[in-house]
Amino acid sequence: MRAVDDGRPLVDLDRVSKRFIIHLEQQRSFQEAFIRLFQKDRDTGEREFWSLKDVTFSVAKGDCFGIIGPNGSGKSTMLKIISGILQPTSGEVTTRGRIASLLELGSGFHPDLTGRENIFLNASVHGLTRTQVLERLDDIIAFSELGDFIDMPIRHYSSGMYVRLGFAVAIHTEPDLLLVDEVLAVGDASFQLKCLEAIGEFRANGGTLLLVSHDLGTVQAICNRAMWLEDGQVQAVGSPTDVVMAYLNQVAEKHDAEAGARPLPSLEHGRRWGTGKVSISKVELCDVNGTPRRVFVTGATMLVRLTYHAEGRVADPIFGLAIHDQAGTHICGPNSDFGGLHIPYVEGEGVVTYAMPSLPLLEGSYWLSVSTHNREDSEMYDYHDRAYPFRVHRGASRERYGLVALGGAWVAGDGKQGHGT
Amino acid sequence: MLQHLRELWNYRGLLYQLVLRELKARYKNSVLGFFWSLLNPLGMMLVFGFVFTVMMPNTQLPKFPIFFLCGYLPWQFLSGGVMNSITSVVGNSNLVKKVYFPLEILPISTVLAALVNFLLALAVLFVVLLVTRTRLSPYIWLLPLVIFIQTCFVLGIALFLSALNVFYRDTIMIMDIVMQAWFFLTPVFYPIEILPRSMVVLGMTLDVHRLMYIFNPMASLIAAYRDMLYWGYRTDFDFLLRTALTVFVILIVGYWFFLRVSPRFAEEV
Repeated sequence: MRAVDDGRPLVDLDRVSKRFIIHLEQQRSFQEAFIRLFQKDRDTGEREFWSLKDVTFSVAKGDCFGIIGPNGSGKSTMLKIISGILQPTSGEVTTRGRIASLLELGSGFHPDLTGRENIFLNASVHGLTRTQVLERLDDIIAFSELGDFIDMPIRHYSSGMYVRLGFAVAIHTEPDLLLVDEVLAVGDASFQLKCLEAIGEFRANGGTLLLVSHDLGTVQAICNRAMWLEDGQVQAVGSPTDVVMAYLNQVAEKHDAEAGARPLPSLEHGRRWGTGKVSISKVELCDVNGTPRRVFVTGATMLVRLTYHAEGRVADPIFGLAIHDQAGTHICGPNSDFGGLHIPYVEGEGVVTYAMPSLPLLEGSYWLSVSTHNREDSEMYDYHDRAYPFRVHRGASRERYGLVALGGAWVAGDGKQGHGT
Repeated sequence: MLQHLRELWNYRGLLYQLVLRELKARYKNSVLGFFWSLLNPLGMMLVFGFVFTVMMPNTQLPKFPIFFLCGYLPWQFLSGGVMNSITSVVGNSNLVKKVYFPLEILPISTVLAALVNFLLALAVLFVVLLVTRTRLSPYIWLLPLVIFIQTCFVLGIALFLSALNVFYRDTIMIMDIVMQAWFFLTPVFYPIEILPRSMVVLGMTLDVHRLMYIFNPMASLIAAYRDMLYWGYRTDFDFLLRTALTVFVILIVGYWFFLRVSPRFAEEV
C-alpha cells in the first residue's frame, strides 16, 4: 500500500505560486457575461491576490513536517494544492502515494447520515472501497470513542465528536501522506494525546505527516522539520525549534514595532527610581549572536546587555537584575557583586552584560528588572522595575511544570555511586 | 481521459457511497422511506389514469396509463437526473473545497441515484404489465441496452450542465424552463403520430417525425421503450444504433468539458 522508499521526496513543490481572482461581485450570471460583451472598458470587478509566491520545499518519506505562520499566510492553500483540490497558478507540485487530508471539521461528512454511515462515506472519499472500510470499521469506531453516538445523525454531534470521527477515519485509511490542518486542537486533552500516539504509530509504520498548526509546542514536540510561511512565502525551513524561534521573534518584533519603540520607563510611572548618578540608558536581551530578541528558548543562551551612563566617575558600582513571572514571583536576582565581578569605577558610557549560557526558565512570560546601586546597597542609582517583558518558549527541552529547569540528572539507585561513567 | 477513468474506478467506493447517500438522504425523514420510489410511479399512474380515462378520455390508445408511464418514467429519469445533478457540484462545496477526489463522481452519483429510482419504478411498471396482461415484445431483452443508452445520455447532459452551473448559476433557472419545453416537445403523453407527418417551413418540406428523432434523442429513446413495453414491437436496430451514436458523442463532449473546467471548481463553488 505504501509508496516505495526510494529516497525521492514524497511531496515536492517547485516554485509554486497560487493566484486567486477575487470577484467583488459574488454571483456570476449569463446576464453579466452578456453585458460584458458590450463593455469597452472591461473592469471586471476582479482583484488579484497571490496566496502563495514561489514556494519551494520538499517533504521526505517518514517526515513529520510542521507548517506555522499567522492566519492568512497561505498554509491552508498550500495543503489544498498538495492534496490536489486546488491547482497551482505556476510551478510544479509532485506528490507520490496516497494522500488523506483532514482539512476542516466535518469536511466530507453528511449531517443527515449517522456516524457509521459517514464512516463509509468519508473513508470512500479517501479512496477506500467498501470491503476495505468493513475491515477497519470496528477499529475506527473504537478509536473515535463515540460509543452509542455512532448510530446517531452527526448533525447532533459536538465539534469534538466531529474531529474524533474525522481523525479516526483519516488515520485508519493508512495513507502514505496525512495532511492535517489545525483540527486536532478541537479535541479534548485525552483525545489529543491519543491522536499524538496514533500519529507516532503512523510514522513508525512509515507514514508521513504534514501538519499545519498554531500550537507551536505541538510542532516542536512531534515534528522533525518545520516551515514558517508568511505572506505566501517561505520564511524559514529547518529544525522545528529554529523555525519556531525565528517566527516567535518576528512576531515579538512586529508587536514591538506596532507598540512603538519601548521607551525607558519614566519616573512618573513609578517603575523607575534612583538618584541617577549612574543611569541605565538601554537594556537589551540578546541571543547567542548578540541580536536583540524578545523570545527565548529554554536551555539556549540569553544575554542581558545593559548600557549605562555615569555622571562623572562613580566608584564600585554594582549592576543587577531581577526576573519575575507573570504572577509576580521573584524568581532570581543576580548581580555583579554576587557574580564576582568587581567594577572599580564607571565613567561616561559603558556596557555590562549578564550572560546565561543555558537559560533555566521554562515556558512562560517573564518580566526583567534592572538596577545599579552602590557597593553598600545604600544608594540606588537607577532601578527599572519589571520594565522589560520577554517570553520563554519550550525548545528541545522536554521539561514542563514550574518555572525553572534545575538541570539535574536522574539516576537509578541511591545516586551515591556518581554517574557511573 | 483514460487515466481519469482509471481514477474513477479507484474511487468506485465513493461513487457507491454517494449514490447511497443520495437515496438515503431523500427519504431520510419520511415514514415510508424507500417505498416512495415504488409508490411514486403507482400514484402517478393513478393520477394520469384518472385524468385520461375519466376527465379527458383518450379513446385512440388502449391502456393509456401504461402508454403514458412507458414515456413518463424514462422522462422522469432524465429530468430527475439532470435537475439534481446540475447542483451536485455547487451543492457539495464542503466536499469540493476540502477533499480531493475525482469531481465527476458528484454528477455521476446523482444520475445513478436517479437510475436506481427509475429501475424501481420500472419494476412497478412490470407488475402492472403482468396484472393487465400486456404482451411483451420478443425483443424485451434489449431493454437493458436502451436503459444503458439513456443513462449515458443523462450522464452526458448532467456532466456538462453541472460544470456550467459552477460558473453560471443561472444554468439551473434556465434549465427549469428548458425542461418544461422539452417535456412537451417530447412524445411523453401523446404518441408521435399526433404530430403532422410533414410541415412546410420557408418553402422546405420538413419531415417532422424524422427531425424529432434526430434532434431529440429522448424521443427516440421513449419510442424504443414503448416499442418494447407497450406496443410489443421489435425495435429497429438501425434506429437504436443511430441513437446510441448521438448519445455517446454527447457523453464524450460532456465529460470532456467537465474534465477541462473541473480543476477550477474548488475556487468557484
